[in-house]
Amino acid sequence: MTTLLPTGFEALAPFADRWAIDGSIARAARRGDADPADRAAFFAAAAPLLDAALTHLDRSPIDALPPAEQRLMDMMLTLAHVSLTEEILGDQEPAHARQRHHMRITRSPAGA
Amino acid sequence: MSDDSLAWLGTAPIPAAPYHDPAWFDLEREAVFRRSWLQLGHVCELPDSGSFIRREIEALNVSLLIVRGRDGEIRAFHNVCTHRGTQLVEEESGRCGTFSCPYHRWSFGTDGALLAAPDFDRFFVDKADCALPRVALDICGGLIFVHLGTPDKGLRDDLGPYATMLDGFPAAQATTFSEYVYEIDANWKLTYDNFQENYHLRFIHPRSGAPAVGEDNPFGYPVKMGFHGPHRTQTIWTNPDPAPKPVQAQSFGRAARFAMADGTAGPHSRDYLALFPNFFILGSPAQPFSHTVWPIDARRSRGVIRLYWKGKDDCASRRYAREYAMASARDIHAEDRDVIEAGQRGLNSGALKHIHFQAQEALCRHLFNAVDERVQAYRAERASATPPPVSRAEAMA
Repeated sequence: MTTLLPTGFEALAPFADRWAIDGSIARAARRGDADPADRAAFFAAAAPLLDAALTHLDRSPIDALPPAEQRLMDMMLTLAHVSLTEEILGDQEPAHARQRHHMRITRSPAGA
Repeated sequence: MSDDSLAWLGTAPIPAAPYHDPAWFDLEREAVFRRSWLQLGHVCELPDSGSFIRREIEALNVSLLIVRGRDGEIRAFHNVCTHRGTQLVEEESGRCGTFSCPYHRWSFGTDGALLAAPDFDRFFVDKADCALPRVALDICGGLIFVHLGTPDKGLRDDLGPYATMLDGFPAAQATTFSEYVYEIDANWKLTYDNFQENYHLRFIHPRSGAPAVGEDNPFGYPVKMGFHGPHRTQTIWTNPDPAPKPVQAQSFGRAARFAMADGTAGPHSRDYLALFPNFFILGSPAQPFSHTVWPIDARRSRGVIRLYWKGKDDCASRRYAREYAMASARDIHAEDRDVIEAGQRGLNSGALKHIHFQAQEALCRHLFNAVDERVQAYRAERASATPPPVSRAEAMA
C-alpha cells in the first residue's frame, strides 16, 4: 500500500482501483457509469488534493512517471471529468450522461 | 448591437422546407458544398513527407486523399485510382512514400503522379495522363481547406478580413488536438444554427453555461456581430462577475497560464468565426475549439469538434488542463444534441411552413440568406442551360 500512491496522497488509496483510469474515453465513461455515492466520495477526497498533486507530478517527466505517480496522474485526469458532475451538473447528471454518450471522444493528446 | 443595424438581413419569416426537404438538400450539395471552400483538416496532421489523411465528404460521395509531398507541399486528390476507379486508401491516416491500388497495383507518388503500373505498355494512354485527380487546396491559420469545384477566388480572398483573424487564433500554432464526434438526426443548418445563437443558453445550459450569462445580460447575447460575404463573426460577452467552482477555476486558470506562456492568448480570445458553409472556430485560449457540421442527407449530420493545442503535454498540469478543457466543452456540446433533434422531428412533420429568427439570431438568418442566394442562383443556372444532344464522342471526351 505504501507504494500505491506518492507520499502525501495516501488518503486517495481507497479510490485508486476504481478511479486511476487509463485513457480519456474510459475516464469519461466511468464518470457516467459510476455509483453516485462512490463518485461523490472520490470527488470529496480528490478535489482538495488537485493542486498539490499537480505540483508534485510536475516535478517528474510526464512520459516517465513512476507507477505511483502515474496512478495519481490518472486519478487527477479522472477527477477532471468527475468534477463536472459534482461541481456543475448536480442532479442533472443522469439525463446528461445519456446526452454525453453521443459525443464520442476520438482523440486526446493524453491518449484517447 | 442594435436591431436596426441588422435590418439589412431582412425580417421576414424563413421558409421551413430548406431545413428538412430532400429536394432542397440535393440543390445544396451542388450549389453550396461543391462550390465552397470546405475546412477538413489541420497541417499538424501532416507533419512529414508522405504523411496523409483520408477524408470522406458523404454529401458529395467524395473521398479525398490529402498528402504532404516530398517537396513539403500539401496536396489534395480524389482517393480514386485512375485505372478503373478503385479507392486507393482505406486507412484514415498514415505515412507512406507511394500509394498502391489494391486492385491492379497501379502506384502513385505523393505528388499524385502515376509512377508504375504492371504491364502498362499494353494500355492506350500515357502515364502523364493518369495522375490522381487533383482538388484545390489552401491553408489559412494552420487549417486545411479544399474546394471541389473551380474556385472563383482563392481562400484568403474569400475569407477577406477573417483570414487575418484566423491567423491569430490559437489553432494557427497548433501541433496537436483533442477531438470528439457526434451523429445527429438533424439537418446541417438546423444543427449549425444552434451554435451561432445564444438565445437558448439560459434554457439548455443553465449550469454548464452559467459563466456565459449574467444579470446584465441574461441571454448572454454577444457584444458585437460582423459579416463578410457569406461568413460571419461575433464577440462573446464577458461576465464581469463570474463565480467559477473551485476545480473549474483551477483548471481554467492553468489552461490560461499555459496559453499566456505559449503565446496563444491573442487579441481574439472572445471572438468566434462562422465560416461558410459549415465551420466554426473560437479564439479562446483556454478552450480553443473548432466545430464542423457535415451534412449526410437532408435530415442527418455529423459534428466534428476539435480543441487545438500547441506543443506536447510536457508536464502533468498541461495534460490535466487539456483533459479538463475537453471534458468541459464536451459537456456543453452534449446538451445541445437532443433539443436540435426535437426541432428536426417537428420540422419533418411538415406542420410549419415558416420558422422565425429574432434580431439576436441574426447569424442564423445570415446563413440561410447565403445558402438561399446560392441555391437560387444554381436553380437559375440550370434552368437557363439547354443541354445539347450528347454524341458518343462527346460522352467519351
